[in-house]
Amino acid sequence: MSVLRIHPEKCTGCLRCELACSYMQTGDFQPAKSVIRVSPFEGHTSYAPYTCTQCAEGWCMTACPVGAITINAVGAKDVLDDRCVGCKLCTIACPYGTMFYDPATRKAFKCNLCGGAPACAEACPTAAITYEDVTTGDWLGDFARERTERVLTGGR
Amino acid sequence: MAARHLIIGGGTAGMNAIRTIREEESERSAITLVSAENPYSRMVLPYYLDRSIAESHVFTATGKVLADWGVTTHLGKRATTLDTKANVCTLEDGTTVAYDDCLIATGSSAVRAPVPGADGPGVHSFWTLDQARGVIAQIQPGSHVVMVGAGFIAFTILNSILALGAKLTIVEVAPRILPRMIDDIGAQLVEAWLKEHGVAIRTGAKLTRIDDLKGRQRLKMAAGGDLVADVVIMATGIRTNLDWLKGAGVTIKQGIVVDEHLRSSVPNVYAAGDVAEGRDLISQANAVHAIEPTAQEHGRVVGANMAGKDIRYRGSLIINIVEVCHLDVASFGAWDDTQADAASGVKADRPAYRKLLWRGDRLTGAIILGRSSDIWTTNDVGMLKGLVQSGVSLGRWKAHLKKNPFDVKPAFIATKTTSALLPVTILGRPSKAPGETPVAV
Repeated sequence: MSVLRIHPEKCTGCLRCELACSYMQTGDFQPAKSVIRVSPFEGHTSYAPYTCTQCAEGWCMTACPVGAITINAVGAKDVLDDRCVGCKLCTIACPYGTMFYDPATRKAFKCNLCGGAPACAEACPTAAITYEDVTTGDWLGDFARERTERVLTGGR
Repeated sequence: MAARHLIIGGGTAGMNAIRTIREEESERSAITLVSAENPYSRMVLPYYLDRSIAESHVFTATGKVLADWGVTTHLGKRATTLDTKANVCTLEDGTTVAYDDCLIATGSSAVRAPVPGADGPGVHSFWTLDQARGVIAQIQPGSHVVMVGAGFIAFTILNSILALGAKLTIVEVAPRILPRMIDDIGAQLVEAWLKEHGVAIRTGAKLTRIDDLKGRQRLKMAAGGDLVADVVIMATGIRTNLDWLKGAGVTIKQGIVVDEHLRSSVPNVYAAGDVAEGRDLISQANAVHAIEPTAQEHGRVVGANMAGKDIRYRGSLIINIVEVCHLDVASFGAWDDTQADAASGVKADRPAYRKLLWRGDRLTGAIILGRSSDIWTTNDVGMLKGLVQSGVSLGRWKAHLKKNPFDVKPAFIATKTTSALLPVTILGRPSKAPGETPVAV
């Protein structure tokens, strides 16, 4: 399956992915409602977007007590709004912190790869987010380790 | 002859076991389900109580689905004896079911405070679907509901009671609320938050008796200040349903002692969920975790092993979350470990609290409180779970988190926790979606 591949060194921190995502997922241009989140590193001199890896276990999906999380046509774990009751069990089961909850709708929501045309990848002006048929991975780990090493060392 | 699997209990553990057997088996087996109730999810009963979902929404498998899965059912009947020498289970109506292997997943029942009048009319438990039906019929806008007990179960229905327009008073015999879910500081913050939101709370309050006053209930309190309620809900704890197993020959301590395959002391008898005393992921000691996620993981591991796979279970992690009046309250792992190295932080401008606990440089427990509308609360909840579950070495990030307990995300990412988590699955393969369970052809 295709997944979102993050190339953190290309991210400029422009937040267009968050705007595109929130609009696609909730109809609002509101970064707080985006399921891809740009994080700053090194005192806001580096940035990288972070989102669901579509992990093999699908901790959110197996935890859901009413079968409200399924696998959609492009292989993404996806919340069925008419089944979700908003119990938040998925938010504590997901060990990546990529389940979200909308207090307005009382539903959980997450990255569903926009059904195969991810808005974040389309909106990114520097191709820091690409939609590719690769094995999912820890795209930010090495980047963040290197960028934060200096901060942690400096703070010692 | 195809294997004959007997599943006793149609809750989360039992239903996950059935689905997993069907997913994993190479040759179709015979599955029999014995359950005192039709299968439903206890987790969603609060949403039925506040009428945000219909009753039909609570069921996890209808008769048609069970038939499609090829499951023989004995619903509405309790198992009364298990003969582990003859491999036969007897039900309350005398029906006998022979098996090759069996799963005991009979869950827990609500218990009431041992005071006169606790079983009287107008006094309810909120644990089963039948009990939920009893409560939903009684609460009207303006009703005064008194909840006895301030634990997790009580808090799961707090929002629903308020949403129905009722006035709520909570009485708790212990000096504080949520004693088994968060620490003293967290409990104080939640108590203050609830009082601000119009919930009356009396801690250290001992109930001595309940009297029926022509349909209303008077709760006599030891220290005086009696309460009069339209509805009393007893949320005073649960007890595992193990009494029926006396003489069955399975070793029982706090629960049925199970090994890493979730087998009891009788090799062809498994136990899962609330009745099982299995390995705790953090301490690696045996414990009863009467929580939904443990029941789900136990059920799937048992299902795979019943289907002939060799799945060892690494142990279950205590995780709890409850939202009260738009405040998220969650805890993970060994949050009450008094020997752990701990750090905590409170935000002065809003209700937000973190407590992090370490053994060495590994996070072994966490408590988190924050407003549901704070998006980082939800994200941190998951990442704290990931750090505790994976046990990644935090190295220098430990000192950083001790100073900045709210700065979870960079620590999570830079310690490559994602790399540690991605290969982990419960069954050694990608999970299947709920609708993918093979059906009979």
